[in-house]
Amino acid sequence: MRSMTAVLDRTRHGRFALAALLAAAVAMAVPFYFAPFQVFQLTMVLVYAVALAGLNLLVGFGGQISLGHGAFFAAGAYTAAIMLDRFDTGHLATLPVAAAACFLLGLGFGVPALRLRGLYLALVTLSLAVFLPPLLKRLEAVTGGSMGLTVEKPQPPAWSGLAEDQWSYFVVLAVSAVALLVARNLLRSRVGRALLAVRDNESAAEVMGVRLSLHKTFAFAWSAMFAGVAGCLYTWVIGFVSPDSFSFVLSITLLAGLVVGGLASLYGPLLGAAFVMYVPSVAQDLSEAAPGVVFGLLIIAVMFVAPTGLAGLASRAGGAVARRRAGAAASDRSSVAEPPPESTSEPSAPRTPVDPESVEAEPVGAPPRTEKE
Amino acid sequence: MSGPPIDGTEAGETAERDFLKVSGLRAGYGQARVLHGLDFSVARGEVCAVLGPNGAGKTTTLRALCGMIRGRGSVTLNGAELLGRSPEQAARLGVAHVPEGRGTFNELTVEENLRIGAHLRTRGRWRGRGERAAVAADLERIYEYFPKLRQRSRQAAGSLSGGEQQMLAIGRALMLRPALLLLDEPSLGLAPLVTRELFEIVRTVNQEERTTVVVVEQNAQLALDIAHQAHVLEAGRLVLSGSAAQIREDGQVAEVYLGVPARSGQGG
Repeated sequence: MRSMTAVLDRTRHGRFALAALLAAAVAMAVPFYFAPFQVFQLTMVLVYAVALAGLNLLVGFGGQISLGHGAFFAAGAYTAAIMLDRFDTGHLATLPVAAAACFLLGLGFGVPALRLRGLYLALVTLSLAVFLPPLLKRLEAVTGGSMGLTVEKPQPPAWSGLAEDQWSYFVVLAVSAVALLVARNLLRSRVGRALLAVRDNESAAEVMGVRLSLHKTFAFAWSAMFAGVAGCLYTWVIGFVSPDSFSFVLSITLLAGLVVGGLASLYGPLLGAAFVMYVPSVAQDLSEAAPGVVFGLLIIAVMFVAPTGLAGLASRAGGAVARRRAGAAASDRSSVAEPPPESTSEPSAPRTPVDPESVEAEPVGAPPRTEKE
Repeated sequence: MSGPPIDGTEAGETAERDFLKVSGLRAGYGQARVLHGLDFSVARGEVCAVLGPNGAGKTTTLRALCGMIRGRGSVTLNGAELLGRSPEQAARLGVAHVPEGRGTFNELTVEENLRIGAHLRTRGRWRGRGERAAVAADLERIYEYFPKLRQRSRQAAGSLSGGEQQMLAIGRALMLRPALLLLDEPSLGLAPLVTRELFEIVRTVNQEERTTVVVVEQNAQLALDIAHQAHVLEAGRLVLSGSAAQIREDGQVAEVYLGVPARSGQGG
């Protein structure tokens, strides 16, 4: 039994490694086959994906809410821009500083998050997003006021022979891959388990010795840190920050993107980021006024068709395919198959075989039964 | 309020006899006072049943013991004061609470649920490779107590049946290696057969691990079967205390408070 699960684990890991390798190969090839503007768009998808992965930690896995993540994003972006503009530090140095600054900022905001929940927390975080742009305008000496700051983009080294957009893409790809991996490992660690337990059942988690205050505050801090890293990347890619780039609409767009992509899913942030990036720009081609309308209508449509987001939709489709294939395979070689029961080896469990850790936000398929047996 | 006498089942030291010592425990919710001063003790390694009708304060008692609600008076576990601590601090002192309605983490797998039970053990003074191996061994031990959980170890807890969830909740609490296990109405919503199985396992755990248990139950028969001592609670006061056998024999009390037909024996 135990060795079976080990074997199962290995094949799962193998499949995951294969998928990751494939994804990496595609990601590496992409900038050579697309026009610069398209490469830029893909780069921005990755930037948003990092921010959404952070928001996902807080909202999807932590069960809290934030309408203020645009502010952390902005804080990261401005930290990088100010360092580049005023202190000429070089790009690489801005990343850890932006991350650390936003981590601390998030830690500070995690404290009120302990006492507030639901709508109240949403309102407090929203106020952060609303008040930051005017503040940035006021602090003209440092932030450049409403004119913003223009900074240099990272330049490709001569040996690489890459264009600027391609280089930006690779740099962002590397950082976002690391960030997404960190987010994934964080969730699989003891801390991540505690976070999920708190979301599922706060008081039960507490009686098991999980320190609520610690985990909730740190969820906020981690989450803000990811948003800050994304903001820093934003500055690198765009080379310009201004208060108007970070209005409270950004915060709401981030949250909407996450929900559409799939809460509490590991690759939901990527899908959500693509949604946030592409839907408005595609809609723009239709008419000037279309983006808002199309964006809104699409959110409604996704919520109706796929309440667990695009990631939930994808994993459900994947599960159906796997089941069908498993059924066919089982009837093919029913005698050759290993002894363990189907229930452990086939994806009848709510997790998908490809990504065993992708938990869906709402237990659509598995309502807790109370009176059975 | 007279402290109920504890029959000297074993004439051990007071420390062993008063492993859990509750004195003058008062607790409630907001304005509503539920417990009006409870006094009782549980000896180390014994099972204590708290019985009583709905609304008597059974659940409130357990909540006060584990720190979920604030209590007044004094509750000591092995000499350490429990009152005034948070649930998390109480857990650190070895109190494992299996809440009413189980409180499993429904979106986590069975194994993840169990690992949350060992949350405290994988850090701080327990940190290290040795403890990790011990947690793995404990996981194995829990699976031996509850073979059904092993079969479902990778399934989401929300997809388990009620009985399995209750097993999971108890298993999760045992992963804490508790000094004191608090069981709140383990039979709630379960079929009689399942409940019986569950109580048998609790008895086995108690015998093998010498875990002290306080179980709150409406199903007096079952609880008395595994308990050494029992207390009957009514409207926030203890109205009867004694050994499980004494309580079972007390015909009138049994009839009035527990709905057990007097002198009909233990039934089938």
